[in-house]
Amino acid sequence: MRRKISLMVLIAFVIALSVASHGCSRDGAIDPDEADDSFNIDLDNPVLKERLAEDDGYAFAVFYGADIHGSLETCG
Amino acid sequence: MGGLARRVSYIKAFKHRSNLEVPTLFVDAGNLFTDERFTGAQLPSEVMTKNKWVVKSYGDFRHDAANLSYTDLPYLAELLKKDGFDQRAEEYPFIKRLVSANIQPAADSHLAPVPYVIREINLKRSKPGSKLKVGIVGFTDAKPIGPNQKEQAVAGFVIGDPFEAAKRVLPELKQKVDYIVALAYMPLDMAQRLASENAEIDTIIGARQQNSQDPAHHFNRATITYAYNQTKYLGELRVYLNGDGAVENQITRFIGLDSLIPDDPAAVDAVSSAHNEFTTEQNKKALDTSASLQPTSMLSTANSPFIGGETCASCHEEAFKIWEQSGHAHAMATLENKKQQFDTECVGCHVVGFQKGGFQSLVTTPQFANVQCESCHGPGRQHAENPAKGYGFIETPVGCTTCHTVPNSPDFDFETYWPKIKH
Repeated sequence: MRRKISLMVLIAFVIALSVASHGCSRDGAIDPDEADDSFNIDLDNPVLKERLAEDDGYAFAVFYGADIHGSLETCG
Repeated sequence: MGGLARRVSYIKAFKHRSNLEVPTLFVDAGNLFTDERFTGAQLPSEVMTKNKWVVKSYGDFRHDAANLSYTDLPYLAELLKKDGFDQRAEEYPFIKRLVSANIQPAADSHLAPVPYVIREINLKRSKPGSKLKVGIVGFTDAKPIGPNQKEQAVAGFVIGDPFEAAKRVLPELKQKVDYIVALAYMPLDMAQRLASENAEIDTIIGARQQNSQDPAHHFNRATITYAYNQTKYLGELRVYLNGDGAVENQITRFIGLDSLIPDDPAAVDAVSSAHNEFTTEQNKKALDTSASLQPTSMLSTANSPFIGGETCASCHEEAFKIWEQSGHAHAMATLENKKQQFDTECVGCHVVGFQKGGFQSLVTTPQFANVQCESCHGPGRQHAENPAKGYGFIETPVGCTTCHTVPNSPDFDFETYWPKIKH
């Protein structure tokens, strides 16, 4: 009986872990809260504030770029 | 200025500034892979390494989709080979977010890219609790190969008519989504036609190596904006919805990613790993090349139309002394500091005569490293052999802007830069 309970606990743990790992896949709904826990930028920095400009109530945003032509950074 | 690491941190800051209430999408309008030195066969291995890191990083740092342009096709031919595709897609899931509605493989050995991807975002503003489905579709112009000439068959793929593809794909996509973003690698007149003929499109994000921050255009229902060439400025489209969830307004901005924007540490690691792998590959090739060359060809000054600054100095001693004190004399060091001395995308503006019979590599032709006399004045051999007047005239500032372009040298101003090298 104890072995069965242990096995069930283990299975439950694995399922929970699997949901935690894959349940918020980007191929489904995007949760804007997800995976930004590494954030450590000083939002009070005046330059950053100026670049961010005012939050005037937009519903969502699309960031875009192009022509990187294989370079993840710029020259020199 | 620029780079993936600053893009990533800016977007993180943007999200946190709005208390994580604003969903964001991150798209690339095309020309993400390099087709450098593609001669119809396979890309060189170090070029493949660069591209591999793009597809990996775009996946790791949450790009939602990237449009395929004609420059992307040589590497796409590697990615979309049917043989081994599932394994590649598992390793680099972003492969499945490379979109094009008008690129098809010419042979059965390759898969077609998906025409579009659909992203579902959770709205916390305007219509809180509801979801919005966003379709991201891709189109590209054919490859320009001369005035009024275009090539439609590139690297085993055929680039079809984007307007026909739009008529075929957009009605189907509109059935599935609430909002359509068309990524369009094409000039503005074609993007305008795309908008005029297809009322399904809400936004067109165009690209064509554009170095401007023009305000958005509006055609039919669509807002048209163009991405800035490379990574120095990030495009930002803000979408405002009314209480019914319909688009009320769209505003575009360009964010300068200078050193005041902090680098995202994880993205820095990725860029650094990409660098190291690329540099190792290039070093190995450069050493292999130099080992196979005869000593006479290693120092091939005699066979080159270029002669190097030391030779110029024998007559133009004063000018040479001024040059030695200038930034031009240390141009290669700025690349070496960033481990970019083998990056052919960068090298051309830091040496003499790259790919024109001058600089080959630091190993084989070190005498042509740095921006020297002939970088601006042109090949000097004939002048050295027959020192008549008439050599070396440069029309300024146009002559300088070959390299001091807006993306590479955003602060360039001839009046303040010229005194630094006046001779």
